[in-house]
Amino acid sequence: MKLYLNFFIAFFAIQGYLYAAEAGMPQLDPKYWASQGFWLILIFTILYFSISKFYLPKIKNNLDDRENRIKDDIEDANKSKELSESKLKEYQKILEDAKKEVIKIQLESKAKSDKDINEKKEKIEKEIEKELVQAQKDIAELKKNSISDINNISKEIVANIIENLSGDKLNESSIKAAVEEISKKNVGKYL
Amino acid sequence: MQQFSVHKIGPEINIGGIDLSFTNASLFMVISASIILLFLFIGTKEKKIVPGKIQLIAEMFYTFVAKMISDTAGSKAKPYFPFIFSLFMFVLFCNMVGMLPYSFTVTSHIIVTLILALFIFIAVTIIGFAKHGFKYLSIFVPSGVPAVLLPLITVIEIISYLSRPVSLSVRLFANMMAGHTMLKVFGGFVISLGLLGGWLPLSFSVALTGLEILVAFLQAYVFAILTCIYLNDALNLHH
Repeated sequence: MKLYLNFFIAFFAIQGYLYAAEAGMPQLDPKYWASQGFWLILIFTILYFSISKFYLPKIKNNLDDRENRIKDDIEDANKSKELSESKLKEYQKILEDAKKEVIKIQLESKAKSDKDINEKKEKIEKEIEKELVQAQKDIAELKKNSISDINNISKEIVANIIENLSGDKLNESSIKAAVEEISKKNVGKYL
Repeated sequence: MQQFSVHKIGPEINIGGIDLSFTNASLFMVISASIILLFLFIGTKEKKIVPGKIQLIAEMFYTFVAKMISDTAGSKAKPYFPFIFSLFMFVLFCNMVGMLPYSFTVTSHIIVTLILALFIFIAVTIIGFAKHGFKYLSIFVPSGVPAVLLPLITVIEIISYLSRPVSLSVRLFANMMAGHTMLKVFGGFVISLGLLGGWLPLSFSVALTGLEILVAFLQAYVFAILTCIYLNDALNLHH
């Protein structure tokens, strides 16, 4: 019951507020209507003219400027892109040309070096052969010389040995003949 | 209801027996208009390619209104863009300034909204007749309606056309007044219910303040877009 009473009181309180609102609506009092209308028209007119003459053109200009700037920038960017693409193509072409050149140079140099090597090889082989022939010749001569040397040495050794053993000197020419005969017989054994 | 009362500030100005004194309503009109002009001044002071905060907001308002007009009334409505922009800004800033405590809401007075609406109504009617002559009357006769219904529809159309200024002005005025009255009622409850019971109406008051800010924007938008729609009817005659 007390709760209902509270609700009643609250309801009447709201009603009271609303009636108070309706009772004194200053909006419907015509005392200052003319004044409000006059000032509204005056202020709104001033606002309208200052906005339409000064501020809107400024904002519009700025927006247009920005749009143009963006358009220009995009155009520039496209141009740069095209340029860079063509440069890239050029670069690739150069790269390919260079590759071809490299292959060509490689082949050429290989051929050249092969030829060089062959030439040098032949030359060296010839030289080696020549040296070989010379060496053989030298060896043959050395052989011949060495035989005569050996003969001389052996002859002296034999003369010395005989002199030491028997005490008297033998005829040199007979020793020489004997040594030569022996060496002739046995030369095949040592050489 | 003290917040809606108009009182004189300064000396009485009386021209031809009509009282045109400067009142608190006039003061808040001046304040709203000054805030708009100051805001636009700061917003257009520096012409930056990359805009600052205020400049960005000013440009957003511009594109918002421009888009609203081109969407509803087409390209023919371009010459009326400054007017609709001013109207939107004025109503919006009057509503928003009214949200500040101890301030006065200019748009909560029927006479203010009625003058705006009547001006729009008369201007739109003049534009309609100027563009289309007497063919503008065909706005009252929609095409594709059965002949039996035509007299009735025409009467309804005429009534709806004539009630445009009333609906336009009452919508804004009633929304603003109702919102502020509601805030006042809940604020009164906070006092009368005291420390114990005052928290609930206080929270309502906070929520309603948010709602009122939304309404303040929305009503300015609705006022401007309805103006655009009326303009569209007058400029592009096809019903």
